[in-house]
Amino acid sequence: MKILRNRLSSALLVLFGASFITFTLARVIPSDPSLAYIGPKATAAEAAKLRITLGLDQPIPVQYVKYLAQTFQGNWGYSLSTKQPILQEIRDRLPATLELIFFAMSFALIFGVALGVYAAKYRGKFQDSLIRILAIAGVSMPAFWLGLLLQMLFAGRLTWFPATGQFDIELKYDHPITKVTGFPLFDSMITGNYHATFNGLHHMILPALTLSAYSFGLLSRMARANLLEVMSQDYVKVARAYGLSERLIFFKLALRNALPPIVTVTGLSAAYLITGTFFVEQVYNWPGIGSFAVNALLSIDYPAIMGITLVAAIGYLLTNFIVDLIQSKIDPRVWMK
Amino acid sequence: MSFKSRFSSPKIRLIAITTSALLAIASFAVPNAAQAASVFKVATSAAVTTWDPVQSFSTEAFYMTNIYEPLLWKNPDGVSPEYAPALATSWSSSTNGKTWTFKLRAGATFHDGSAVTSAAVKASLESSKKIGGAGFIWDALKTIDTPSDDTVVLNLSYAAPMDLIASSTYGAYIVNPKSLDAVAKDSKYYESGKDGGSGPYTISSYKAGSSVVLSAYAKHWATTKPAYSTIDISIVADGITAQQMMTSGQVDWATNIPLTSMTSFKRNNKYSVIKYKSPFNYVGYFNTLRAPLNNPKVRQALSLALNYREITAVGGQGYATQARSAVPAGIYPYDPATPQYQMARTKAKQLLASAGVKDLTIKITYASENSAEARFVPLIKDAFEAIGVKAEVQGILFNQQWAAAKKDPANAQDLFIVKYWPTYSDAGVDNLWSLFHSSTKPFFNLSYWKNTAYDKLIDEATELSGSDKAAAQKLYSQAMVILYNEAPGLYLYDEAQVSVVPKKFDIPKYNINYPFSAFFAGVKLSS
Repeated sequence: MKILRNRLSSALLVLFGASFITFTLARVIPSDPSLAYIGPKATAAEAAKLRITLGLDQPIPVQYVKYLAQTFQGNWGYSLSTKQPILQEIRDRLPATLELIFFAMSFALIFGVALGVYAAKYRGKFQDSLIRILAIAGVSMPAFWLGLLLQMLFAGRLTWFPATGQFDIELKYDHPITKVTGFPLFDSMITGNYHATFNGLHHMILPALTLSAYSFGLLSRMARANLLEVMSQDYVKVARAYGLSERLIFFKLALRNALPPIVTVTGLSAAYLITGTFFVEQVYNWPGIGSFAVNALLSIDYPAIMGITLVAAIGYLLTNFIVDLIQSKIDPRVWMK
Repeated sequence: MSFKSRFSSPKIRLIAITTSALLAIASFAVPNAAQAASVFKVATSAAVTTWDPVQSFSTEAFYMTNIYEPLLWKNPDGVSPEYAPALATSWSSSTNGKTWTFKLRAGATFHDGSAVTSAAVKASLESSKKIGGAGFIWDALKTIDTPSDDTVVLNLSYAAPMDLIASSTYGAYIVNPKSLDAVAKDSKYYESGKDGGSGPYTISSYKAGSSVVLSAYAKHWATTKPAYSTIDISIVADGITAQQMMTSGQVDWATNIPLTSMTSFKRNNKYSVIKYKSPFNYVGYFNTLRAPLNNPKVRQALSLALNYREITAVGGQGYATQARSAVPAGIYPYDPATPQYQMARTKAKQLLASAGVKDLTIKITYASENSAEARFVPLIKDAFEAIGVKAEVQGILFNQQWAAAKKDPANAQDLFIVKYWPTYSDAGVDNLWSLFHSSTKPFFNLSYWKNTAYDKLIDEATELSGSDKAAAQKLYSQAMVILYNEAPGLYLYDEAQVSVVPKKFDIPKYNINYPFSAFFAGVKLSS
């Protein structure tokens, strides 16, 4: 109980710190957010009037206290560029982003760990070299660049996949998705709209592959390195001396002991994917919070920036908490620490 | 070697697994659903800053011109007559240009079915003048009479070209009075995508920042109905992404193709690349408050340092021409006789020497989101350095650039690069006034320049343009010569509008008077 309380209070401290830093930074940079609201050709008088309406004429500490009070009451303000409530914007867009992260993480976890294990098993051979090259490329290639390359090759030249979007535009006219949970792909599945499901999966592949590249590289490298390290431990040598099969040693003994660092990296990767969506969603015109964040940053839409920062911070904290829980299942000493 | 042993080779297994995975992924590729009938799909970067037709003053004009109608439309350059009837079918002005009478179209209705009447016109124009983003265009408007339901009389305090003003992209839409009342009670009335227009399309759905769907209005007065009953518009900020959407067939038309891609489209026989004159013009403001830029000789020297041919080629990618003053070609009161600076670096150095300038460093700011500026601003830096003037370049968001320039002029930038366009097709009232007429507080005059002779000419020309356009042109031309001699700014280039049109479709020609707009009612499949 005490541990949980400590975790919760440190999480609140992190949220408070993140909101304070973002709030202050958003206001000290030289810009006029009121212009984002009424457009660049507004008159000086209109801009001045709006600054008073939005409370921008007040001192920053006063603005921050007001902001905190409103946020706790569930009023996250209005986006300056879309004029919609921030919470509604986030609620509308988050499902698309979470679905993308889910698929990207699944790709990275399944292929990253599997290929890392495979590379460790065939250390120094052709397969190992190929997987290492893929891993290095995944880690080092910027997401927006990889996204454009995949888009040009698979959508532009080969036309195997659509270039952008979450579904074909026609879908909303010929196979509209009934909203149940708000997660469009999931909703299409549970309502039996399989045409939409396949269409959504078809659209998902390129952005999910792009987003998963970094995590894939990291996980495969980590899985390979950990397995090789474990395989050189004394207890593995003893197991071999006892005549246990290689398969048993590899999968039952070594892989299990190589797992904890992989779980940590998986958690960190999942958290990285939250901000990774900023670039990927922009390239693929994905209707999630990543593209919303980019537009907010470019238009200095500070209420939206604040909202997205809070959501990202909560995402990081939750992911870390889940990683700790899983780690404690694997190794109870982690939780006690 | 047996089948089993062949596949037990790790190398072969890896290749087999990889190939299977790729095939599995590709098998997801279901063919595109047959295009829903009568849906025209568009990708555009046009953001919606507001759906309020009175407040609208930005890129939402792309949609607004399909949803709302002014009294008149101004036809593209070279098309006769100059104006096309919209909600007014005929119009006339008194001989002194101070009274304008508009006869309204019979049978025109708003999207809720109510009639477009003179009362609606009066309410719309009064609302626009009072609270509109572009309300200043109605400055001359004193009172409005409505002698009958289909007649509107505009009484002006001074002669002004009401036909031109009534056809403006901004501030001239006629709005359903019920919507005007609703927004007066609730300022967020329009923001979910409601409309109070009478145009050929109405807003069917709006997802902020993502998409707009327009549906044809069945009771629109036009006898020719739109070929497409639904216009599905995806808002895509990135030009390359929009391009990919069009070339892969996800959308029928993309309006924001980057200029750098035009060469490849010219080679593609599925598309036509069409160049039009546009109202967009690149200008640089010198900070005339600060020495030595307060000396016209120094400003002239810097103007002479530039290689305009290179800047135009790199910035406009072959779709631009060197500007003459701050009025874009094709927009009144452009004058082809206005002198232009040409590169003359020896003379520039002499001017700097005669002004006693040594060790000058210029701080240049430009809007980082504008890719053309990012391309050509380094050339300005190189040109200055070629005459011994150091330059520091800072690319920041336009909002930041503008806020900093207005906040503290004395300590602001030395050179501010801007892309400008007039509110309606009169660059005398707008560009020449807004950019260089003196003002007590800087707004768009970011050279902070004050010149009484220039102000006098512009003020007189503005008043004359309603009654004697030719006389006003002469005054504007004289003012532009002052701009050349005094050089408060760099007059860089006029940008052309380049449209990439799929040959499969007939899309109405670009209209310079509505620079952000596309008129979807005229879109159809090519015959």
